[in-house]
Amino acid sequence: MKILSEDRTRILFEKLTKYIGVNVKLLIDRPDGTYCFREKKDRVYYISERLLQLAQTVKPDHLVSAGTCFGKFTKTNKFRLHITALTYIAPYAPFKLWVKPSAEQQFLYGHHVIKSGLGRITENTPKNQGVVIFTMSDIPIGFGVTARSTTDCRHADPLATIAFHQADIGEYIRSEDTLV
Amino acid sequence: MGRKAKFDETKKVKKGPGRKAKKQQDPVFKKGLLDDDKEEKKLSHRQKQRAARRLKKKKEIQEKRKALKEAKKNPTQETEQTEEATSCSEDETPKGFTDDNKEWLKPKKATNKAKDPESDSNESDDEGLGEDENDASSDNDESENEEKEVSKKSKKENYKVGTLDDLFHDTDEEQDETLNDVEDDDTKKPYNSDSSAESDESEKDDDDDDDMLPIEKANIKLKKKQRLEKKLADEEMQLNIAKQDVFAFPSEEELQNPTSLQDVLQRIKDIVAVLGDFNRLKEESRSRCEYTDLLLKDLCLYYSYNEFLMEVLMQIFPVQELVEFLEASEVSRPITLRTNSLKTRRRDLAQALINRGVNLDPVGKWSKVGLVVYSSTVPIGATPEYLAGHYILQGASSFLPVMALAPQENERILDMCAAPGGKASHIAAIMKNTGSLFANDANKERTKAIVGNFHRLGVVNAIICNYDGRQFPEVIKGFDRVLLDAPCTGTGVIAKDPSVKTTKDQKDIQRCFNLQRQLLLAAIDCCNAKSSSGGYIVYSTCSILPEENEWVVNYVLKRRNVKLVPTGLDFGTEGFQKYRHHRFHPSLKLTRRFYPHTHNMDGFFVAKLKKFSNVIPEPVKDEDDEEAEQENENGDGENEVNKQNGDVSPETKNKLKAGAKRPAKADSSQPQQKKQKPNGASPQTPSAASSLTANQNKKNQKKKKNKTGQKSEVVDKQDHTSANSTEQEKTNGDKKQNELDTTEIQGDVSTPNNKVTLSASQKRRNRKKNKQGQKGENKVNKNENDSATIIKPVTSKEVPNESTLDREKNKGNTNASILNSTDSVAGKKRKNKKKNKESLIITKESTSVSAEPQTVQEGDKNQVTQTTTEVNLNEFNKNIQINTSGKGSPSKKKNKQSQVQENTNKIEQSNKDVLNKESPQTKDTNKINGSDQQTSNESSSKKKKNRKKNKNKQAGALSQINKNENKVTETVEIAAAKKLKNKKNKQKQIGKLDSNKGMKKGVDKKNFKRNKPKGK
Amino acid sequence: MDIVNDILEREQKKAEKYKPIVVEKHLELEFDVGTLLTSDTNDLDSKLIKSDQERDIYLQSLARDNTQLLLNKIWELPTERIDEAIVVRLPQPTTVLPRAKPVPKPKPLTKWQEFAKAKGITKTKKSKLEWDEQLQKWVPLYGFRKAAAEKEKNWLIPVPQNLDPMTDMYEKKATEKSEKVAKNELQRLKNIARARKVKIPRVGLPITSDKASSTQLATATSVAKASTASLGKFQDKLPKEKEARGKGVHELIPGKERKRKLPVPTPAAEKEQNLSMIDRILRKRPKIDMEKAVSKHINEEQLQRSEEKKSMKPMKGRGKPKGKGNATNFSAKKPKGGKGQRNPSKKNPGRKRR
Repeated sequence: MKILSEDRTRILFEKLTKYIGVNVKLLIDRPDGTYCFREKKDRVYYISERLLQLAQTVKPDHLVSAGTCFGKFTKTNKFRLHITALTYIAPYAPFKLWVKPSAEQQFLYGHHVIKSGLGRITENTPKNQGVVIFTMSDIPIGFGVTARSTTDCRHADPLATIAFHQADIGEYIRSEDTLV
Repeated sequence: MGRKAKFDETKKVKKGPGRKAKKQQDPVFKKGLLDDDKEEKKLSHRQKQRAARRLKKKKEIQEKRKALKEAKKNPTQETEQTEEATSCSEDETPKGFTDDNKEWLKPKKATNKAKDPESDSNESDDEGLGEDENDASSDNDESENEEKEVSKKSKKENYKVGTLDDLFHDTDEEQDETLNDVEDDDTKKPYNSDSSAESDESEKDDDDDDDMLPIEKANIKLKKKQRLEKKLADEEMQLNIAKQDVFAFPSEEELQNPTSLQDVLQRIKDIVAVLGDFNRLKEESRSRCEYTDLLLKDLCLYYSYNEFLMEVLMQIFPVQELVEFLEASEVSRPITLRTNSLKTRRRDLAQALINRGVNLDPVGKWSKVGLVVYSSTVPIGATPEYLAGHYILQGASSFLPVMALAPQENERILDMCAAPGGKASHIAAIMKNTGSLFANDANKERTKAIVGNFHRLGVVNAIICNYDGRQFPEVIKGFDRVLLDAPCTGTGVIAKDPSVKTTKDQKDIQRCFNLQRQLLLAAIDCCNAKSSSGGYIVYSTCSILPEENEWVVNYVLKRRNVKLVPTGLDFGTEGFQKYRHHRFHPSLKLTRRFYPHTHNMDGFFVAKLKKFSNVIPEPVKDEDDEEAEQENENGDGENEVNKQNGDVSPETKNKLKAGAKRPAKADSSQPQQKKQKPNGASPQTPSAASSLTANQNKKNQKKKKNKTGQKSEVVDKQDHTSANSTEQEKTNGDKKQNELDTTEIQGDVSTPNNKVTLSASQKRRNRKKNKQGQKGENKVNKNENDSATIIKPVTSKEVPNESTLDREKNKGNTNASILNSTDSVAGKKRKNKKKNKESLIITKESTSVSAEPQTVQEGDKNQVTQTTTEVNLNEFNKNIQINTSGKGSPSKKKNKQSQVQENTNKIEQSNKDVLNKESPQTKDTNKINGSDQQTSNESSSKKKKNRKKNKNKQAGALSQINKNENKVTETVEIAAAKKLKNKKNKQKQIGKLDSNKGMKKGVDKKNFKRNKPKGK
Repeated sequence: MDIVNDILEREQKKAEKYKPIVVEKHLELEFDVGTLLTSDTNDLDSKLIKSDQERDIYLQSLARDNTQLLLNKIWELPTERIDEAIVVRLPQPTTVLPRAKPVPKPKPLTKWQEFAKAKGITKTKKSKLEWDEQLQKWVPLYGFRKAAAEKEKNWLIPVPQNLDPMTDMYEKKATEKSEKVAKNELQRLKNIARARKVKIPRVGLPITSDKASSTQLATATSVAKASTASLGKFQDKLPKEKEARGKGVHELIPGKERKRKLPVPTPAAEKEQNLSMIDRILRKRPKIDMEKAVSKHINEEQLQRSEEKKSMKPMKGRGKPKGKGNATNFSAKKPKGGKGQRNPSKKNPGRKRR
């Protein structure tokens, strides 16, 4: 559990702002205790200060995980958001996207969201904006990046991709071992 | 769910959803078993037997009838008809379909009847197999009922029918055939009844009713009646059979080649019925164990268990319940799932799942979050709700430990064996993501599952780490609550993993409970007793074996400052307080057991401990470890029984909350004190005992008269005598105490069954000792010569019978056990002669028992013991010489003594090193002890012998000798008494047996100290 | 008489001047005369030790007594006189003195020794002399007289068929020999290098710039950049330039702080840092996004158009031709299947149901 370096922190926050915009601040200054980001083996964990103290008693090579894993830094020093971060991203996301029940399974198996599967989408979502994807019963099932803005969606043909799949809760089953 | 201990890393644990909901496929059998129940089988030996017996019965019945009719005074032809019917049935061989194999085709019904109650009870707990069996059985009953009533109302018309049926006798036969083949294809089907037979008979009649002449109709009617009557006869007979005898014990060749599974099942049920009320239904010349052995074999065959596990199960359950358990563990439990209260509420989840076409219900009153799934159109482990972490698949039994743990918010909680994180996430959910949760698991692979589940369920207050639980106290301590769901053999979850049936053996269980003990100790160390809200430890396994449950808890109760508290689960059966030869702490009834057949959840065990102090009492080495070692080297409990019963009883008695130390002291004290036997004290004891009895004889005459042979009695008496004796001469009080304790210790060893009396006697002994002590103080400085005078005449008196005793000794000197047994016999004979030999006798008896393990042991041990005995022998010769020479030089004694100790130590060492093939040291201590005892007797007798020689040489020398001896001994005694005095004060405020022992040890040590200067 | 007395008195005085040589101790001292060592296990007089003025006297006396005892012990030993000096031969010292230097490490094995060890090859002693059939005499295996023997032995070397007849076999032999020696020398050096853990190229020469690996080059560049007066502070970076990473690189680069981890700030401080950083990031956001602007514009147009549609509808009464509205006002709304509220004033009362 070591503290993130300057640039890594920047990369992380840039990525987060893609998805939850200004709400990143809410992650940092919370009413309940102070929370912070720590990295371990390139994985970034979001953990409360109090829990962190306890976690530091555990030897690094015996510590598997602590708090919530947000994602990992790739070899090329980019940050990739994991599905495990959904717990924190979903409630803060300004831009949402709802998929029809028919398209749920499709998305959960890692496909993109296509127009035909699109249930609702937040007004004037720009292009290439990180969005959290919900079922019609408001269960967050993953997140992705919009392929086209809301206005374009209107005119798009039913097979056009609306949002690129990035992570979905199906990964909990599909790739449990590589999850964290 | 408690995972099973994975000793070989080769087989991977199935991960991800659905690994809990695994369907149990049917048991596989050899072809030989399966095919031959299809083609119709000829009479097996047993069936023939039954047929023969039934014939006899039938005859009797008809005699009865006849008698009845004579009473009615209307002699009819019907009687002789029945007679000739019986005659024909006798003379014709039972092939094809005839009366008597019609009869032997029946008894399925009878046995069905026998089976009904249990199948009903099954219905209560398991769906899958329960129902079909039940409706089968139920329609059985109703069919039989209506048959009965038929029989009742048509009792009287028998007689009129009887008049006619000699005319239709021949036609009867082929009618019977129709009936019979109906019936015998009934017998093909497992659960069947005559109701079907009845129905298709009737319809048969109906279809041939039309286009018939009236006479034929009449004929048919008559035949129907005829058949009815026959049925009645059979019915009646069935009833009788059901009353008299259900089951004939099969012969060997049948056991060699089992006919079919159905038969095996049948046999099982019969035996269960027989064992139900044994003394009425048993065959003569068949012992209960024969039945149980047969049952064991059959169960192993039918449910495909290995013998060992089945034996263990039979020890846990009564047979009736055992069968239920086995049945229940064939079918898998219904899938249950736990609502993740962090993300949703149960109602909402249920609604969502029902919309997805899942058929579910709340699991029960006892859980707010449990849902049980009956059927589902979608894979229950892959719905979006599941993936979104609204619920987790978890066995109903897995809720229990967490409910028992009752975590509070803002606590620090540890789950020691957390994978795959079901229980841990439950804890987090109850804590509402506050506080902090450590989820540990030894297996790195499986921690991944924890990570996955936690993130899915939105548990954010958890630290997941990968330690061996035993090391965890080094990492971090001071938890408010600790949950230990220990790895186990998984005998509770056979439904999930049938491999348990065959793979588990003594070794695995051994490994398991050793690991579990260490884990539980570690868990307790992790817990913080001072925490305001907590200080609780919950121990749970998915096994039902007491070795892994009660015994483990009992073990830690001795070693840590913990106490059992109620689990807060209002259902479940209480934990065992005694199992086989174990006697557990009475508070173990606070633990809870759950069985598949009674609670319809996996077999499970939950114990809740409260830690009341953080100090760790110093480690004790007591019967548990030894037992563990023993179980290592031999699984059979026989010679264990001899020891443990004795050992457990006193400790579990005086071990309560802080009782951890006491057994320690006791055990530590025993060996030395045993080793001390040979020196100064023991050679004196016979004389002491004799001297006391010289005065005691008058008092105890009556007692001796009505004395019974049983040992406990003897021991008690012996206490009395010794006690009185101590009041008489305080000077050698300490020796008698030694004497006493040896008898007492070996009394424990020797008498497995009447330990109650023993412990009682121990208490008495305590009292007596205190008294001795108090008296001992003021009368220590009593002058020597009176004891000398006392001793002299007695010894002279004893000479003859002692010498006889001697002969026996020298004869059997090579093998201790033989010798002792002979002695004991001789001793019993001699018991009624003199009181003073009782002490000897008792010691001998005890030694004989304690010496039995030696004979069991390998040769080398025997040698060791022999060497020790020899050492003692020539040691005592030395002593005597020394005494005669007038200069008691116990320095030599001491050397010998040290030798003895060395031997014993060696033995103990070897035991420590090689667990599985060496014998645990209890045996050896006993061994040594036994040998010492015996040698003490021998030595005493030897001494006497010398005396005798001297006497018939010259009397003056004799007196001289005695004087010298007494001088030596007296000084010793004085010293000892002095020692006694200052020990007494301690002993008064803590009236413990062990403190006494410690004292005695001290005394003997003192003896050495005092002897040494004299020697120089 | 008086003579005797004053002699005695003189003796007395002498005696007073000296302390007595017998010292009685509560416990026996432990002597090791071999090392002239004695250790006093008696416990010190605590109050003398406490008091400042007596301490020194006490200690001195203690030292003196113990020395006296040691000397007594020495005097007990057998003495002899060597040229006017009384000499004592001290016994073997019993106390083990600690070693000044650490125990030398065992020599690291050479490559061959390792190999032999692994293979279990044990060297067999060769006899120094061996019988030469040709010369009919004992020839040493090496060294003195070997060369002479060789020369004598092959006074003539036949040139094999496959070689050209002009080859000088003597020279060939010499070169082979020299190569062998060179190789052996190389092995020796290599062994030494391995023992000292000196890095040497496996084969050939050390790398040069033309055959350097990319990592080496990256390292070289980053080192070069950093080796300025200001430790490369003012060197401008390429857009996608990476710091050379890897084992040992960090040490090469001058002016790099040596500590591994960043210092962990206090929670509050960290929080502040993070917040400020987020602010920076967010401030960087608002750059005009053509795409977004256009889409926004289109969106607004559509909105207000639909607005005016709604406003116009009621004032346009009956005269509005049917279907025209549909043609003009584009809306993604589906026709309400008779479910919308219907007003009887309208001509068409809802949809026709078939």
